[in-house]
Amino acid sequence: MRWREDFPVRWDEDNYMTRRELAKFLTLGSGLLASVNGLIAFIGLRREIPATPAITIATAARVPPGTSLVFHYPTADDPCILVRDRSGRFEAFSQVCTHLSCAVVHRADQQTLACPCHNGSFSSLDGRPLAGPPTRRLPRILIEQRGADLVATGIEV
Amino acid sequence: METRQQGSTLFSAILVLIATLVVIQLWLVAASLDALLARQTAVLVPTAVAAGTLFVVNVCLLRWVVSFDRRLRDWGSRG
Repeated sequence: MRWREDFPVRWDEDNYMTRRELAKFLTLGSGLLASVNGLIAFIGLRREIPATPAITIATAARVPPGTSLVFHYPTADDPCILVRDRSGRFEAFSQVCTHLSCAVVHRADQQTLACPCHNGSFSSLDGRPLAGPPTRRLPRILIEQRGADLVATGIEV
Repeated sequence: METRQQGSTLFSAILVLIATLVVIQLWLVAASLDALLARQTAVLVPTAVAAGTLFVVNVCLLRWVVSFDRRLRDWGSRG
């Protein structure tokens, strides 16, 4: 029979796990998972929060109303997107989608930041998720206008 | 627990409860990893405390279930 070929184990050679053994195994797994959770908390609390210095990212004239500009803040590894809406107001957000870290792109006609990977979409006014898989809002970059310059001054998670 | 059958059923029920708590712990690990990558450190300590509490609950359930499993076996050897 086919199943005998697929499972060539004789009854007397079979090993059974008792319920007591299974309970012990599950509790051991529970301890392991609790340890992993503790380790994650330890790593998260020890990880240094990057400093958020004030950095000039562009001049206001470089970003006309209805357009956007990609910049990096606070480090060169953190892509962000500066959006200027039609009324002339500036908003900036992390460009990393909160779902699976793809880069979001500005869609001025819909006033959204769209993630092309899984059709996620965020409001370009406040960064909240509007559609698709993302459930967390995009981190907001605090922007100040100092004269003609736009300066990034911090991150609001 | 009045009969051996009741004891056996209770054992199975507790086993399912322990398994369910382990699944919740798996979910907690996934959630805390997600929070770590999103730099939402405020979530990490509560999830770690919850995971630790579930582990303690599991240990208590295991101790209890092992003690009455012993009684079940004694019952079986007498019967």
